Amino acid sequence: MEKILEINNLFAGTYDGTKEIIKGLNLTINSGEIHAIMGPNGAGKSTLAYLLAGKKDYAPTAGQIQFCGENLLTMKPEERANAGIFLSMQYPVAIPGVSTSNFLKHALNAKRKYQGLNELDAADFLKILRNTAKELGVSPEMLKREINVGFSGGEKKRLEVLQMKLLEPKLAVLDETDSGLDIDALRTVAQGVNDLHNQNNALLIITHHLDLLNLIKPDFVHIYADGHIIRSGSKELAIELEQNGYKSFLEA
Amino acid sequence: MAIDWMNNHLWGDDIPWLIGLREKGQRMFEQLGWPNAKTEAWKYSYFPQQILDNLMVCPDSDSCQCHENCHCHDKIKTPFAAYGIKFCNGRLHSEHVNLPEGVIVKPLVEAIYEGEVKKYINKSFDLDKFPFAALNTAFLENGMMLIVERGVKLSQPIFIHYQQHQKVHTFNNIRNIIVLEKGASATITEHYEGERGSSYFNNIVNEIYAHDESQLRHYIVNNESETAYHVALNAADLRANASYEAFVMQGECAFCRHESYIRLLQKGAAATVNGAYQLCNNGISDITTNIFHLASNTDSQQLVKGVADGRSKGVFQGKIHIAPNIKQSEGHQQHRALLLSDNAEIDAKPELEIFAEDVKCSHGNTCGDLDAEQLFYMQSRGISLDDAKRILIKAHVDEAVATISDTKVKNWLLNIITKKTP
Ligand SMILES: Nc1ncnc2c1ncn2[C@@H]1O[C@H](COP(=O)(O)OP(=O)(O)OP(=O)(O)O)[C@@H](O)[C@H]1O
Ligand SMILES: [Mg+2]
Repeated sequence: MEKILEINNLFAGTYDGTKEIIKGLNLTINSGEIHAIMGPNGAGKSTLAYLLAGKKDYAPTAGQIQFCGENLLTMKPEERANAGIFLSMQYPVAIPGVSTSNFLKHALNAKRKYQGLNELDAADFLKILRNTAKELGVSPEMLKREINVGFSGGEKKRLEVLQMKLLEPKLAVLDETDSGLDIDALRTVAQGVNDLHNQNNALLIITHHLDLLNLIKPDFVHIYADGHIIRSGSKELAIELEQNGYKSFLEA
Repeated sequence: MAIDWMNNHLWGDDIPWLIGLREKGQRMFEQLGWPNAKTEAWKYSYFPQQILDNLMVCPDSDSCQCHENCHCHDKIKTPFAAYGIKFCNGRLHSEHVNLPEGVIVKPLVEAIYEGEVKKYINKSFDLDKFPFAALNTAFLENGMMLIVERGVKLSQPIFIHYQQHQKVHTFNNIRNIIVLEKGASATITEHYEGERGSSYFNNIVNEIYAHDESQLRHYIVNNESETAYHVALNAADLRANASYEAFVMQGECAFCRHESYIRLLQKGAAATVNGAYQLCNNGISDITTNIFHLASNTDSQQLVKGVADGRSKGVFQGKIHIAPNIKQSEGHQQHRALLLSDNAEIDAKPELEIFAEDVKCSHGNTCGDLDAEQLFYMQSRGISLDDAKRILIKAHVDEAVATISDTKVKNWLLNIITKKTP
């Protein structure tokens, strides 16, 4: 078992320091584990996800984050990605003028370059892409379209998971990847995530819904409020939450 | 004025109308004066008159010290299957013309001697608006007359290669008269290619006459030396149902201005004038358009996309004029630019002069940095910041290039952009 992520007493906020969002967060994730984070709107879940991916809108004020034994906070976003962090975004970004398949080719080749492998040519890349896309129900037409431009909410989320599968991260952070998915899509996506998960990697799932956690079974569930974890437990915690809401946890 | 008018021995001093025309050009050039910040049409971009010092008009392409690697006499190479016309150091090389039936090309001097060109010269624009066209008229000699005959539809593009290879500072004064007779259809690509380090001043005037039902796709690529000055006026008269599609792509050069002056003279005439500029060092790039809707049922479209980095400057000035009593016409214009450095500059001046009611017009202008969210999205997928920037810049420029309807030319240009932003 390898320690993949270790967050120690983290405080962080907006880059300009005007708003503190994460307040004293501790979290350790080992290889092979699936962690779920649940928390009310505005608790700071996406902020944590962005901070892990290196978005420069947010900055830590105290504490550390180690990723596979390295200081994550000094790494550039692309270095983090190549080292194995993948963030499936709550709001994926549209890029007019860049086709989905071209975007994915750049991403996959960046990773291969980092690993010292040769870049894939168009034909080899398309072969890999087509197979993975098929598994996730992403149509060839969608791959030709400009990335995330005019995609439906569910299409965007499928595409996030497609990217994750192509890049095979060590730590996948899924920020509300289930929101916007219909019932069938939720199953396909969950299947895709489960296929990827093994003893060498880990998942951090941010969600508001028990449905996803019935399909991707977490080893740990954390209740997150006001910038830190207020309770941790097993999947039972999510069931309790579904029945009673956040009230009892927040009062406790 | 640093021009020694008397010492330029131009060909054709036995043709009175030509002499009269040159003198008129000279007088107009002197009257208008060298453009500067106070010249309205040039206020954003102008260049020093000193470039005329030591400027040399080459008597022929060899005597301008075309050095050892001179390619003037090489066969023309085209980047895609095309008919070819070659200019070297400002001179038409008639031995390198390869054209099909139905297309006539002759050196301008020959056409002047034969007299047929007289009805076209200086008829597509007003001399008193264009100082460099006046200068071009004063030095009228080089260039060609190109005619696509009635009903002839060319199956592949005509590629005009303007090559520059010389050590001395030369003045390339070129006038092309391009005539598409009734129902003719052609694609003309002009590729200006200056050897690195060569210094020259191109003063180009293209006069285009598109007769009824004709179609011209006209693509201009300025791939100049960084020490080159290039000024071009592209004047086009479009008759009934004629269509003109232009695209101008400007790379880095000391100063590069492409001005369009397009008159939609009769019903059904339509013009598209699109373009792109991509600058990263010290270059100045100027795309100026003047489109005149002078008849009903005429349409014009413009989309220009620019990138200015380093200490460069991009200028877009676009005028749409719709004359009184014109009906059912549309004129649309968009300029979108990326300003990537604090030391770079973008100036844009859209101008709509609408004197009619039953018409639709629009214009839009944006100028900004690359989108931070898009950059982060790419970085979060492992793409380096530099690569992410390149991908966004290419996507920005590609949008304009994608409008080119000739697939061969479009793919050629998309490739050029890929090389610049790999
Ligand atoms: N760039 C920013 N500037 C100012 N405030 C911000 C910024 N980003 C986030 N916040 C604030 O920080 C808080 C946490 O936001 P965050 O998006 O992390 O919440 P969340 O837990 O993901 O909520 P949700 O469940 O609704 O997705 C919110 O109050 C939000 O408005
Ligand atoms: Mg969120």
